[in-house]
Amino acid sequence: MIQSRSFVRYFLWCPTIKAQELRFKGWELAEGREAAFTHAVSAAGVVYAISRSCREGELQSCGCSRARRPKDLNRDWIWGGCGDNIEYGYRFAKAFVDVREKEKNHPRHSRSLARMLMNLHNNEAGRIAVYNYAKVACKCHGVSGSCSLKTCWQQLPTFREVGDRLKDRYDGATETKFNNRGTKLKRKNRRFNKPNKEDLIYLDDSPDYCTANPETGSLGTVGRECNRSSQGMDGCTLMCCGRGYNTFKRKLVERCHCKFYWCCYVRCKTCERVLDVQTCK
Amino acid sequence: MCNGALFSAPAPSSTIVSIPINCIDYDHPVPKDKKAFIPRGNHSCAYVENLFDKSVETEKIEANQIVFSQWLPLPRDNHQLRMSRWFQSMLTVIQMDVVHNSKNPYPLGKNPKMQLECHLFYRNAEDDENDWKELASAVVERRLDCRIDENQKQDGDLYECDLLPFFELGSVHYDYYLINIRLPVSKRDDEMNKLGTVSGMTFITIFQNGGFTKVWFSLKTVFFPLTLSVLIWFWRRILQLSRPTNLLERTLFALGIILSIMNFPLEWITLLANAPFVLLINDIREGAFYAMLLSFWLIFAGEHMMDSQERNKLSSYWKHLLAVIVGCLALLIFDMCERGVQLTNPFYSIWATTTGTNLALAFIILAGIAACGYFLFLSYMIFRVFRNISTKTASLPQMSSVRRKFYSGLIFRFKFLMLTTLLCAALTVIFFIISQVSEGQWKWGDDGISLEYSSAFLAGVYGMWNMYVFALLSLYAPSHKTMGVAESLDETREEEVQLTQIPSESSALASMITKSTVD
Repeated sequence: MIQSRSFVRYFLWCPTIKAQELRFKGWELAEGREAAFTHAVSAAGVVYAISRSCREGELQSCGCSRARRPKDLNRDWIWGGCGDNIEYGYRFAKAFVDVREKEKNHPRHSRSLARMLMNLHNNEAGRIAVYNYAKVACKCHGVSGSCSLKTCWQQLPTFREVGDRLKDRYDGATETKFNNRGTKLKRKNRRFNKPNKEDLIYLDDSPDYCTANPETGSLGTVGRECNRSSQGMDGCTLMCCGRGYNTFKRKLVERCHCKFYWCCYVRCKTCERVLDVQTCK
Repeated sequence: MCNGALFSAPAPSSTIVSIPINCIDYDHPVPKDKKAFIPRGNHSCAYVENLFDKSVETEKIEANQIVFSQWLPLPRDNHQLRMSRWFQSMLTVIQMDVVHNSKNPYPLGKNPKMQLECHLFYRNAEDDENDWKELASAVVERRLDCRIDENQKQDGDLYECDLLPFFELGSVHYDYYLINIRLPVSKRDDEMNKLGTVSGMTFITIFQNGGFTKVWFSLKTVFFPLTLSVLIWFWRRILQLSRPTNLLERTLFALGIILSIMNFPLEWITLLANAPFVLLINDIREGAFYAMLLSFWLIFAGEHMMDSQERNKLSSYWKHLLAVIVGCLALLIFDMCERGVQLTNPFYSIWATTTGTNLALAFIILAGIAACGYFLFLSYMIFRVFRNISTKTASLPQMSSVRRKFYSGLIFRFKFLMLTTLLCAALTVIFFIISQVSEGQWKWGDDGISLEYSSAFLAGVYGMWNMYVFALLSLYAPSHKTMGVAESLDETREEEVQLTQIPSESSALASMITKSTVD
């Protein structure tokens, strides 16, 4: 979750949303690409966090994927081991994240049904971005370290890899509309490829994030810090939506001349330095 | 015979992938010996969830105070699992998580030395929850080897690090194991402190599956009496002969003895007593069997050479056997250096130091050279045998019927063994490749596979070579029927004669060869 926040921080559209709010704010956003991305990232974050807690032993309820009935647990575990818990993380996230969407029945052709279908699809895309891209790592441990015996296990992708993958999906997200029966979503423009399970889908074009709009949850970009030298999303040109930017000097009290070890508390001195900062008009 | 169990057998080994809890030792500068840091339960340690947590800065927690701790196995379905003696052995490797930090960068390309202060504790389920006893402890060094894609070098990006060997236990005798690791910061050795920024680590523990152990034990328990009885029967047949035993018979007998030693189900004692040495003994037994099998092929080919040279004694094969002995000795010394030392210090790894790595590589290369030498020798000998066979087959029609039967018997026997050996070797290689490929490509959603290739491979190869020696012993035992005059044999007994005839007293063979040249 912390990592997803750091990832999301660079985006134009939800700069101030904190990790805990991310999921819940998601519903406030219009049904654009950004909402699609938010749902996917938060669903991926849940799979990731659950799998990690299972590995830490913090979460007692993690399943033993090979055990069929809980009463056979110990016998099954001794017979064939337990396997890893990415699968449990996936199933848990599916139940936990999707439950809100499935609370109500929606009439055909309704806006709420469309939103539900879109959210469910994007949640699944987020989960799959973690689950399907787990890597296999192996270790040889036969006689004299030879590969006559080899054991493999699942390695979770780093959250940054998940984020990068979802960012690509965000860029290539598909706009969708109801089919004739009003029960399913299909692509709006036939020139684009059909969205598969891993793709993100959305209903409307992105709202204007340049100006504040309480209805869509957009806070606007007035007063946001931007990077003068960057050409990307965080660059002043794009972020300030052509309104230009102000530059002012900021005195920064920093820690410096630090003695670093591999972790933890760092002994430093404090230094002062003056920095140019740009904010959008 | 064990087919039912074989097909339901699980993979040979399983893994527990676990992330240690970052316990904090608040008493750090005051040394408290052998204190166990427990990650969960009623006596769990004080910990931080994340090493970059704000409290680490505010409480001035130093690197020396962090104890990475994990209790194996992990809980599942609200139930604390227990290790089992059926697991036989367990080994753990460490995956380090090194994060890029531009202020404290990882020294790329320098493979920094990392010190690990390791403690391993054990406890049984019925013991008091706080009563962890120390199994082993040591301060060891490992070399980090990490890489990163230069294009993606932003703060917070993870490096890709090689797995570090951690410990290996030859027996899993207790219910619970507790791992405690500290990465001490040294005031003197500054090179040791340049590790970059570590965000955590992952333990990967590999152990043999109980189900596989059960199948394996039953295989051994069934094969042991079978091979032993056929060996006794074989040797009694030989002793009934009026002549002294020849080299090939003695070699076959030795092969049978070593196979019986390998089959002896010594492992049963691990269920009763803590016997970590069984792992080493198994390595040695297996190695001895393969060394004997290789030597047997050499001697078998040599004894079927059908030239005028007098052999029939071990000393005439010393050059050929040297390759086998050197290769096996190199592997034995290597194994003793790794698993032998691990009996006293489970954290020891020959790969951890540069000299150790070079030494280990030297032994493996030596063994490789010996193996090449062996196969050159063997191929050359087999080539010569086939050349002699073709000249003999050409002159077969001109021979008298006794000698014709004798030679065609020899040729048939040699070809038969060649064919079975090639078949067995080919099957071993094919099985090995299939199991390696299936293991490497294993992915989620492959639950449908009912047959575990790896365990089928191991059990299949084991059973196949057992049956191979079994067949050799029973087919090549001398007939107890008197050989009689060859001419009186009717057609139905011919094949039996060909199979059971001895390569003969070499003097007789030599005299026949001289006779054939006279012919």
